[in-house]
Amino acid sequence: MNPTRLQETSQVSANVRIHFKVCRFIMEAGVKLGLRSVPIATACTIYHRFFMEVPLEPYDPYLVAMAALYLAGKVEEQHLRTRDIINVSHRYLHPRSDPLELDTHFWELRDSIVQCELLMLRVLCFRVSFQHPHKLSLTDVLLFMQYLLHYLLSLKHWMNRHSWERTPVAAAAWALLRDSYHGPLCLQHPPQHIAVTVLYLALQCYGVEVPADAEAERPWWQVFSEDLSKPVIDQIVLELIQIYTLDAEI
Amino acid sequence: MERDLLRQALGFHGPPLLSLLHTEQHDNPDFRGLLPPGGGGLESLSSARKERGIENIEIQQFISKKADLLFSHSWKTNVPIVKDGNEDNEDYYAIMPPLEQFMEIPSAERRELFFRDIERGDIVIGRISSIREFGFFMVLFCLRSGVVREIADLEITALCPLRDVPSQSSHGDPLSYYQNGDLIQAAIKDIDRYHEKLSVSLHKSALSPSLANTKLGVISSEDLPLHYRRSIEVASSLETYEKVLHNSLGFANPAVVEFLGSKLGLNESSPPSLMRGLQSKNFNEEDFAVALRKRQSASWALKCVKIGVDYFKEGRHVDAMNEYNKALEIDAQNVEALVARGALYATKGSLNKAIDDFEIALEQCPTHRNARKYLCQTLVERGGQLEEEDKLLNAESYYKKALNIDETFQEADDALLKLRKQIQKSLEIREKQAAKEERQKEKKVETSAEKLRKLLKEEKRLKKKRKKSTSSSSCDTSSDESASSSSSSSSSSSDNKKRKKRSRNRSESSHGSKKHTSRMFSHSSRKEDSYSPPANTSASFLNQKHEMEKLLERQDRLAYQKPEVRDREGDYVFLNTCTEDELYGGKFEDDRDSRYNSKTQANSNKTEKQRRSDRASSDRRDSTGSYHRQSDDRNKASDSGRLEKELGRREGYRKFSPSQAKYSTSPTGSDYSSKSVEHYKQYTSRWMNEPSRYNADGKAEVAWIKNEKESKNREREASQAKGVDEEAMLNGKGQFGSGAKKQLPQNLLNIFNQIAEFEREKGSKQKNQ
Repeated sequence: MNPTRLQETSQVSANVRIHFKVCRFIMEAGVKLGLRSVPIATACTIYHRFFMEVPLEPYDPYLVAMAALYLAGKVEEQHLRTRDIINVSHRYLHPRSDPLELDTHFWELRDSIVQCELLMLRVLCFRVSFQHPHKLSLTDVLLFMQYLLHYLLSLKHWMNRHSWERTPVAAAAWALLRDSYHGPLCLQHPPQHIAVTVLYLALQCYGVEVPADAEAERPWWQVFSEDLSKPVIDQIVLELIQIYTLDAEI
Repeated sequence: MERDLLRQALGFHGPPLLSLLHTEQHDNPDFRGLLPPGGGGLESLSSARKERGIENIEIQQFISKKADLLFSHSWKTNVPIVKDGNEDNEDYYAIMPPLEQFMEIPSAERRELFFRDIERGDIVIGRISSIREFGFFMVLFCLRSGVVREIADLEITALCPLRDVPSQSSHGDPLSYYQNGDLIQAAIKDIDRYHEKLSVSLHKSALSPSLANTKLGVISSEDLPLHYRRSIEVASSLETYEKVLHNSLGFANPAVVEFLGSKLGLNESSPPSLMRGLQSKNFNEEDFAVALRKRQSASWALKCVKIGVDYFKEGRHVDAMNEYNKALEIDAQNVEALVARGALYATKGSLNKAIDDFEIALEQCPTHRNARKYLCQTLVERGGQLEEEDKLLNAESYYKKALNIDETFQEADDALLKLRKQIQKSLEIREKQAAKEERQKEKKVETSAEKLRKLLKEEKRLKKKRKKSTSSSSCDTSSDESASSSSSSSSSSSDNKKRKKRSRNRSESSHGSKKHTSRMFSHSSRKEDSYSPPANTSASFLNQKHEMEKLLERQDRLAYQKPEVRDREGDYVFLNTCTEDELYGGKFEDDRDSRYNSKTQANSNKTEKQRRSDRASSDRRDSTGSYHRQSDDRNKASDSGRLEKELGRREGYRKFSPSQAKYSTSPTGSDYSSKSVEHYKQYTSRWMNEPSRYNADGKAEVAWIKNEKESKNREREASQAKGVDEEAMLNGKGQFGSGAKKQLPQNLLNIFNQIAEFEREKGSKQKNQ
């Protein structure tokens, strides 16, 4: 490896770390703002998409994150007020500080969020769906969760109901999916694959086997997604676990 | 930690996970007792899992790192799963055929799993295959509740015994209702998992409570569950899971995530996460948007309040109010703003608004000292206002409220005590007056024998008194005068009090039965009094005038003779008028009342005239005797008062109560006609300012009634001399009254006549003596 490439990779990993932190911020702020899962995931997706189009350096990632939250609230019909976003963000970035006074500084912050929102929309070309390897549109964020939930429901009926109740597979899968938004995983894989993978990992975590999977003509994950293969699942699992390693680092 | 879950995971992953767990979680005390010692009984499993174990070493590492989260109890305590009925509503989510249909699992496994997982209370659907005398058999082909499985090809039969078939109305044999091939929906009753035998029931009692309203028995093919119909479609078209999912309507439901999330027991408010930094249980409530906004609003509002207080101090009340309102717009529950605004309202005199604000503030912050203090003060102030408006009961409730808020609030306590006394007093007054009226009437109807007896007694007493005291009433009055001039009416003479007491007892005993009604009546009438417009409607006014003129003439004469007594008399008249108002207020219009009053006044004037003449002879009647005189003077006083205040009868009314006070405590001998009004005013003001004194007065008032009674008796005596005279007057008056008011009750006239007659009799007697 030559030094420039080394520098690049270190640069990339630094960026990944920053994005991870900012996504953590989005999620935490989202919970504190009372956002549902879908808008939070949307905000993360918007954030990741924005930084796929533009370099990180000229922008304040937290401002982008706040604007992404604001925009996601609009997209997913759970409108937020900028004042709340500013309050929660300020508190997050300056723990235990008093809420900002509603002075000119506050209004400047508010203006900057609105400006940033417009900028993001321009960067994303105002497109509800835009050119992407997987033809993902903004509302497609729903898909990840929709798929996962329907998979869970189907699986629930096939499983023994007592073992299902005893084992928090659904919660684990849900947590994994939500956590996956810390990275741009959602932009790199189709929603079905992500959904199957988080379900797979959740089942693995609790050592739950899908009944009669060995005897079946088709494994359960292939039922859910025809074009999925075991290596793909393993790959995504690795990427997913990779995200969690960052959790320990920051 | 969930021991069972951990065991399950360990059993699945084998020893590698165990060793990883040991290294990762060795300093976690929760795991110490849970982890089986390394190696151990898990070795046997490892061979079977070896392949997989090597495969997913990363997963195992992941599990071991997150084990404390994955196996924690709190992980499971998410929202309790909503037990779904059999709502297969396609609008909410995509209803999919059973998973095993896509997985193409051999029937043997499916059959085995079916009998493993089926449970009592599950609803199954089948077709009747044969009917026997002990029941019927049905072949199951789909499940409605519990688990959704593909069983159509498994040829599972279930028995529905006769006792579990509800009889259909009049049919003797319940089974005759059913036929081969009928679609039956039934609930699983018994499962023999070993022999793979099922029995079902058509009784609702076999259902689980959440499904209690499901229809059991024969169903039509349209009633078949959606997932079954879909699975038939899939079986024929060989569509993939994904396609079915996309084609179903529910998949497009934007709220599907929320719906299914709750169905699967996922908590949206504190979502699960395997990120250590995102454990929502570690989030501080204070950092949430709602709490922050509240805090921010509160501090913003407080700022406004401060500005407002500054304005207030500068006297810019409007600006201050604007600031307070702004503060409350920002934070509607801001205690400081409410208290400040309440204080401003209070200073502006809007006591009710102030009370409202203080009350809300106290609700928000029950420990707020200023709010409590101000509220009490305002309540008491408002109570005082109401007292002045003569709404005594309302005032009382305000005082009580103040005491409820602060038991130690002395002002309210005092005010309440005073008020209660006042209320009682006023009630008593009404009562007594009513009673007196009654008595007057009664007296007039009294048999002559009784009257005679009384008269005799009186005479005896008078004789004694005469013997005892040579001192005239002048000394009495003079002392009274001094007392009154010293301005404290509370220093009432003891004999007065005694008399009062006596009289009260008497009246109570004699009119106990009427007490209640009269009390109620008196209360209302009192209010009426206070608001009744000046009674100078033309007719009545004229009448009054006539009389007044007459009276005034007389008065003047008398005034020169005995100015000392006038005050008392004045009082008397007021009482008279008031009682009459009360008694007849219901029957007559105000003007009539007044007319009536004037009449009676005139009456009494006349009688008193006689008495006065009497009085010269009667030396030691000082107190008692004075009453007669007083009554004369009273009339005069009232007349003069009228004249002076023709326009303001209200004032006259006001006078009335203080005048009573005067009367009872210290009749002053100042020249009456000119000063009486001033006196009244003085007294009213005093009364208002110092209610405590008023209490004493109240008693005096009561006593007065007695006195009055006595005086009546004496009147009679006195009237001996001028009986004829009086009678004539009375008659004249009676005529006058009847002329003026046709509605004046006839019996009253009769009473007057009787009195007159009686007095005449007496007079003649006396003369004889």
